[in-house]
This record gives sequence, C-alpha cells and structure tokens, in this order.
Amino acid sequence: MYGNQSYTGHFEKRIVMNESTTPTKYGGGGLGAWLLSFSLLMGGLSFTTTSHAEMAEGFAEGSRPSPPSAEQVEAGKRVYFTKCVWCHGVNGAGDGPGADRLWPRPRNFNAGTFKIRHTASGELPLIDVDLFQTVTHGLPGSAMPSWEGILTEDQRRDVLAFVTTELVKDRSWQDTEFEEFHVLQLETIQPVPPTAESVKRGSELVKEMKCIECHGLEGRGDGNAFNLKDDWGFSIQPADWHKCWNFRGSRQDAYNVKNIFRTFSTGVSGTPMPSFADNTTVEDRWHIANYVNHLCERDKDVDIAGGNVTDEIAAALVAAKPRAIDPLTDKPKVDFVIPSKFVEGELPADEHDERWNLVDRRIVAMGGQITHKPRNFVTRIDDVWIQSLYNETHISFMFRWDDRTKSVQKDSVDWEPYEVNLGDYGIEEQAPGGSLFADDPEHPESIAAKQTAYQVFNDGLAFQFPIKWQELPAPRKPRYFWGDEGFPVDIAKWTADGELKAYQGEGWDVDFEDRDDFTEQLKVVKAEWANGRWTVIITRPLKGDYEEDAYIELGKYIPINFFVWDGHNGDVGRKMAVSAFYYLVLEPPIEKETYIYPTLAAIGLVLVEGWILTRRANRRKGKV
Amino acid sequence: MTWLKLVEGYMPMQMISELAVCILVFSIINYSLKRAGMGLPKFWAGIFVWCFVNLFYLKYRIYPPIPFSVRAIYGTVSACGIFMWVSGSQQEWEEFKRPIINVLDANTGMTKFLRTALLILLPIGLWGFAYNSFLPSFDEPIELRTVHPAPPATTKVHGKTYVLQTAANPYRINPEGKYDQAYSNAHIVSQDMGRLMKDVKNPEDNPWDPNAKGYIKHVREGGEIFFQNCHFCHGDNLNGRGLWAFAFNPIPANFTDAGTIAQLQETFVFWRVAKGGIGLPGEGFPWASVMPPWEQHLTVDEIWKVIMFEYWHTGYYPRTWE
Repeated sequence: MYGNQSYTGHFEKRIVMNESTTPTKYGGGGLGAWLLSFSLLMGGLSFTTTSHAEMAEGFAEGSRPSPPSAEQVEAGKRVYFTKCVWCHGVNGAGDGPGADRLWPRPRNFNAGTFKIRHTASGELPLIDVDLFQTVTHGLPGSAMPSWEGILTEDQRRDVLAFVTTELVKDRSWQDTEFEEFHVLQLETIQPVPPTAESVKRGSELVKEMKCIECHGLEGRGDGNAFNLKDDWGFSIQPADWHKCWNFRGSRQDAYNVKNIFRTFSTGVSGTPMPSFADNTTVEDRWHIANYVNHLCERDKDVDIAGGNVTDEIAAALVAAKPRAIDPLTDKPKVDFVIPSKFVEGELPADEHDERWNLVDRRIVAMGGQITHKPRNFVTRIDDVWIQSLYNETHISFMFRWDDRTKSVQKDSVDWEPYEVNLGDYGIEEQAPGGSLFADDPEHPESIAAKQTAYQVFNDGLAFQFPIKWQELPAPRKPRYFWGDEGFPVDIAKWTADGELKAYQGEGWDVDFEDRDDFTEQLKVVKAEWANGRWTVIITRPLKGDYEEDAYIELGKYIPINFFVWDGHNGDVGRKMAVSAFYYLVLEPPIEKETYIYPTLAAIGLVLVEGWILTRRANRRKGKV
Repeated sequence: MTWLKLVEGYMPMQMISELAVCILVFSIINYSLKRAGMGLPKFWAGIFVWCFVNLFYLKYRIYPPIPFSVRAIYGTVSACGIFMWVSGSQQEWEEFKRPIINVLDANTGMTKFLRTALLILLPIGLWGFAYNSFLPSFDEPIELRTVHPAPPATTKVHGKTYVLQTAANPYRINPEGKYDQAYSNAHIVSQDMGRLMKDVKNPEDNPWDPNAKGYIKHVREGGEIFFQNCHFCHGDNLNGRGLWAFAFNPIPANFTDAGTIAQLQETFVFWRVAKGGIGLPGEGFPWASVMPPWEQHLTVDEIWKVIMFEYWHTGYYPRTWE
C-alpha cells in the first residue's frame, strides 16, 4: 500500500530491541505512536512481517563497518568533549547546555536514529559515508555547522568512532542478529534527466503519493505543519521545497538532485518522513526528485498554480537557472543593493504584472532579533524576497516570503499597536534551560511545547528608512533597531489583520509615534497568503513631509532594513526576525551622455586605425 | 576535492604556489611541443598566459571575489611582465610582433579578412565597453569600519566601575585560588589542527571532567553561557559563522582569527561584551551592529566566564599590559 513493507519490518525490529536492550524513554513509543497515526491517516495498516530480503529497487547489500580501535574511540572522546558536548550533551542525548534554545534540537544519539542515510528505512546509517558527510558538511537549516576545515579528516572519523560506540546505546553496528545494511546505490543508478516531462510527471506523483499533505500544494511545507512530531515528541516541520539550501541532507550542494533522490528513497528516520523505496520505482523517484529540485528558488519566480503544473509551467521550471550560492553561507548570495526601476503610468496592481520582470528580485536574509529582550532564538522566516518599481510619484514594493502558516490574531490583546516593549505583558524569551526539558517535550517551559502552543499573533512585515537621510554624514545611520535618539526612522508596518501604518521610531525601547497623515498615503495593493507564501505589495509616495517621512530621491543610496513576524512562532513586538541594512536605489533613466561619449571614443579609434594603417603603408612603400 | 579548497590564513601562499605550478606546467608543455615542432608562437603564448591569470584565475578561483579595480592593477602588472618576457632580445621581440605586422600588412587572403574584421570589430567593441562603463552602476558602497576602536579608560557595568587598565578576570585562578594567567594559559586547548583540549583524562584540562575545579570548571560554565547565547552568531567553533552570522552586517567576529581576541586585552573584550554594538564609538558603526549589550542579559560573573571560555576554546592568550 504505502511504505508498509519497510515500516512494519522496522517496527517489529524495534519491538524486539526494546525487549532485549535498554530502550530510551521515547525511542520505541514515539515511533509506534506515529506509525499508528500514520496508519490511521492511510486508512489502516496491515502488520505483515516482511524482511528486507525483498530489497527495494535501487538498493544492494552493504557491508558492516569494522569496529573502531580503542585508541580511535579515545581520540574521538577528546574531539567530542571539546566541540560537540555543548549541544549534544555528556551522554549524547541531545541535551547539552545549548539544546533548549535550539529548534530543531540537537540529535539524541542514544537510539541510533539518524536522519540522513543511504541505508534503507529503519537501518543504521553508514558511518564512513552518511555520518562522515553530516559532520563534514553540517546540517543546513539547523545549528549543526560544517566541520570541514576545522577538524581534520581523522578527527572527524575519530569523533564518529566515539559517538557510534559510546553514545549510540540502543543499537550497535556490530549487532549481526538485528542490524542489516541495504545501501542505496546512488552512484550507479542512472538519473532521469530533468526534462519538462519528468518535472511534470513528478508534480503529478507528489499528489498521488500524498507528499502534498505535509509539504503543501506548492511544496512550501505548509500542509499539516503544526501537528507533526518526531520520535521524541518534539515538534517538527515538513521541508520547504523552495529552499533546497536548507535541506538537511543538501551536503553543501543545494541544487544537486541526488540528495533529494536519496532522502526520498531512504526517508528521514525519527521523523514522519517515510522511505518511498518500496512503493515507488526508481524512475518515479527521479521524476519526483527532479520536480522538487526545480521548485527550489531560481532566477525566475515561476508561478506553479497550486501545484497544477502544465507543460508550460514545467518548461519554465526547467528553463530557470539556479541562483548563485555563497560558499560562506551555503545560501543564495545576498546583494545589499535593492534596485527599483522606473515604470510609466500606474504601478502594478498584483504580482502577475509583466513589469515586475524589469527588475531583479533580491533576497534579504533574516536572523532572529537577539540584541534586546525578549530575544528570538528561533526564527521560522529566514528570508524575504523583494522587488521594487517606481513611477513619477510613488514607489511600490513587492515582498514575498514563505511562511507555513497564515497567522491572524484572534484574541484581543492588552497592548496598543504602537507599544514595542511587551515584557510587562508576559512576552518573554526562551529560558536557557540547560537540558532541563530534554526528556519532556510536553513540559510547558520547553521550546518544543512552545512551538505548538504559542498564542497566535499577527504575521507582519515592517521596513524603515532614516528620516532626513540626506543630512546624515555617510556612513552614519539611525540604529538598525527602530532608530535612536536624534536619528529617527520612518517605519511602515503591515500586519496580517490588514493594517498598514506609518510610525516614527526613536529607539528600540521607545514606543512608536503615529504618523497619521502618512498612514493615509500608504496603500496595501495586495496582501495574500496562499500555499505557504505571503505576497504583500505596498505603495507609498516618493515624497512625504521632509521633516517626518523619508524623502525618496533618484540615484541615491537610501538605507533600508526589514523586520518580519511569524505569528505562529509567537513573534510579536520586539520578538521577530531582522535584517541588516540594505540600500534602496531608484535607478534613474539613462542619460544622453551615456550614448554620446562611447560614440566619440569609437570614432576616435577609427581615426587611430586609419593613421596606423597609413603609416605602415608609407613605411613599406619607403622600404620597397 | 578538499585539496582544492582555499584555506583561511594560507590563501596568499596557496595562490602564489598554484599560479607558479600552472605557469611551470604550461612552460614545460610548451617547451616539449616546441621540441616536437608544434610550439605555440610567443604572441599567442603571451596572450594565453595573461588571459589565464587575469580572466580565469583571479576572477573565478579566488573567493571572496576581488574587486575589479584590484584585478585591473594585477592585469597591468602581469601585462608588463609578459612584455618583458616577450621582448627579452631583439629576435624574440620580432617574433612576438610578427603576427601583428602580418595582419597590418594583409598579404594573404586570411590576414586581409582578419584585418577588415578587426578594423570593424574593435571600434564596436570599444563602444560597447565605454557604454557599459558609462551606465550608472549601483554597487554596494564601501564603508570602512574600525573593528577594534580605542576603548574608554573605564566602563560601568551593573553599577560598578571597572578601570580597564587594572581590572582582571576573577575566574582566571590557579588551584590555590590566586589570579594566574600562566596557569590558565597552560590548560587552554592545543594549538594544532582542531584545537582540541590537551588531555581528556586530566581534570585540569577537561572542563567536563567531574573532578574539574577552579579555572577549568569556570571554563565549562562560560561555555554553557556561550552555547545558550553567543553561538547563534559567533558559531559553534567560535569562528564567526553561526546560524545567522551572514544575515547581519557587520558580520560577527571570528575568535579563531589571530586578529580578534588574540590581540586584545581581556578587559577590552569585557568592555566590548558588556556594552555591545550600541556601546561602540562612531567609527565602529554602533547603529549597524546587532551585538547585544550583554549587561542587559548576563551578570558580570557570567561575562568574565564566557570570555575565559572564548580564550580557552580558541587556544589564545589574552594580551597583557606589559
């Protein structure tokens, strides 16, 4: 039916193991619980015993790693207690001092459950390949960094020797009775080329296979996003296919389709993401991988119409070029200049206007607000895409960002919209904890519990310009965080309840002042949440009151920065994601000189050429 | 292909040796081709070497990319070098300019065609180049920020005034409980690759040893604070590459770099940590830095401990006043 074979196999194995070895508190139970819900979801799961003797297509028998030497384990211990223990904890239970402020949480090694593998569902990973690559390349989208260039190859292998022998407690790579290794033959399987047909077929398959139930119609991870738990009971979110650089298994090679094929074939252990190896042919897996890979943001923003991919859309997806990935961040390169282009007539009324193609979309990287209390240690929005156009009188911004949930505040709140300091109303930051809640995801103080039980506030977006930026001696700016004394900022804040207001900010701890006259001139042209993405188009006049509102001029670098709130993350007030300073530049139309001088230079060169030829000809004549 | 990675700190040496090896390989190939009678003429060899260095190597190999103006300087210098090489003797110079003269004279059908084509294409190319350079370009403006501005003489944290010249980290103590930098320096991580603790079995070296006490125990407490507060930006290896490091500008300090805490006094770091970005003087861009004023989040003791952890984990000693 639906991944039954591997799952029942795995389930039974785990039950046996739980009897024979020390189980972790949540290891077996969590898996069983989710299996149960999975079976309910799929309308009944038949518990037939099937072993891996019937190997899924694309897999082959793998070899058991040889046990590491005692010296290696000892050397690895030194690495572990210098570098890893801070998050993964003394016993490797993912409960180090840093754990409670991280989400996703650090891995608990004890049960031997690892997400990214070449081995079949439920099996232990390959130490030399899977775990080694995880340590080498890190897990993007989590706090696990790449250790390449920091630890030598030997040190990375040593630490794995320690982790796999000492900290994985419930299972053993040397357990010949229960542990088998069926390895996906990723290097030898022939990929299906990413043609438009393949991408289109993939888009049909993700519906047939019900991928979209969790990952959403357009794959932005917005389906069923708040009800998913991992084996330990911690909340977990489906991947956003439009951000391949955040795929845990992307191995610092974001647009490589093989990583997707691997994850799809082997599943993500410990999470609701199953392996699809048993019920999907290799060819179909490639189609899906090709589709998912081509959904990842590229140079063109292709509208995939709620996942109803036509031939035309598929062709556009295939034609789009991958974005440049910054090797420092393994995320799309950030350009701190946001261009705005001139258009004749009315500014666009929606995102489908052809004129948006005139101007590049820019990615703005967002990080948690961690300067002042309440700090925001978990941001669910890590980037916003921005485009801008202007005409004689107005400027328009189109903001698009992925947000798995549309959050509109339902309950009334005690504070006024202009208040920024909400500490008195119980808006607090996550306590450091220090592993206090590691065993108990239901503990109301744990970040995992809060991930599902936040009061829902409004999603929102704001941007600020310095007021009278023309008079600031470069590079002086108002403080990035709502200005400072003597350097006020012009803030436009949109919230998901439909409000767009103009404020003046004079400091991170000072309440906003309303700028009522300017609020009337701001306009939300469109604000729509669809399939895990907000599209918000805002226009404002280029010029307001010089003393109070930023006065936007052509051809100048105007400092601007951005703030986003995710209402389902408990973001409100000062708890949000922020960006660095960017520059907005209204590109002026091309001037006449731009054509005249090059023409003069070209004419000059023709004359020089004539002179050289004549001279040469004369000299030859003279010689002859 | 790890060997292809440019390694922080070794990049200039790596670049020079890579270029030298490439040129050497090219010379050997060209020499053997010449022996076989198929050598590349000097003219083309010169152009090839110049293009390889300036249009390929410096442009695509070096990361982060070097600005065009700097590449233009390299381009000019390497062009001069190549001219010196091709004009070593009168005969070599003649050989070098022969293809140019041939085209100018246009004695054969081929050179005639080339001459006509060049006469037309060169002005068009120049027009395009000039047009491009006249187009207004909006690159990010370069703003020079002082990373380590001059500290104040004193700083007031949690109501107490600290004189930076005389203050000392109260947790940098030997087993007798006395301030002892030499003792703590002896127990920082080793200096070789990985910078690991010296001996996992020695409670004086291993902060996680149950018997750890004094200095090394405070290192662990500092580390706990670091991994609850600082790693989001400064990174799990303290190398300034945390989860959000590159969403911010200026980027977080890299403590493993010899140019940050290694060349600062501990009290300077104390001042920077306590007062944060907003406490910087103007040349440090206080408006752009997201570094929190940690006095709002941590106690004085916690600040001293986290600083000690940073020195321990990177294997650096704080600079002293003498």
